[in-house]
Amino acid sequence: MSDTLHPAVETVAGSPRRYKRVVYGIFTVGIVGLFAGMLFDMALAGTTIYLLGAWLGTGLAAVLPRVSPATLTDERDTATHRHASGLTIRLIGGLGLGIVPALYALEAADIVTITPTMWGAIWMGSALFLVWGGCYTYVTRFQ
Amino acid sequence: MQTDLPERREAEGLSQGGLADAVGVTRQTINAIERDRYDPSLALAFALADYFDCRIEELFEPSVDDE
Repeated sequence: MSDTLHPAVETVAGSPRRYKRVVYGIFTVGIVGLFAGMLFDMALAGTTIYLLGAWLGTGLAAVLPRVSPATLTDERDTATHRHASGLTIRLIGGLGLGIVPALYALEAADIVTITPTMWGAIWMGSALFLVWGGCYTYVTRFQ
Repeated sequence: MQTDLPERREAEGLSQGGLADAVGVTRQTINAIERDRYDPSLALAFALADYFDCRIEELFEPSVDDE
């Protein structure tokens, strides 16, 4: 283990399993904090906890694999991320293609009303597809 | 992918962590390969074959499910 790492960082960076638990745990605390803030009408505190968790988790996830002498992530993690990303896109794509056109038709027939929350989900799914398309184009052409 | 990696590793007196360190992956990845839950990349398969001084096809062979 490197002599330059703080002992607390060394503990986290010494084992892939511990590293993942700590990083995912920090993200989880941030997200739970955000929702708890919304739930208990303490939006500022919740957002602060979320931002601290997001920044700390992202920072640790980016830095620790580079400074740790132990192998914290490897090709299997990359393959898992690719698999999960593909599954996410297929799932959202399937739901979008299978449900959204039917919702439009049902709303046009005055059978259902698309609520603002549903519109938000539709826009979010569409935006995710746009981002995915941009990333796909970039990877296809430049990597 | 079927493999005799556990037998070869144990014959060398190596732990999964030791082999992982030798080829630059995590112990969990070696464990997943040995349990047929992960197919290694060509680069990792070459590294493992190189470590055990054998050919890739001696170390790995397709499972019935892979064919």
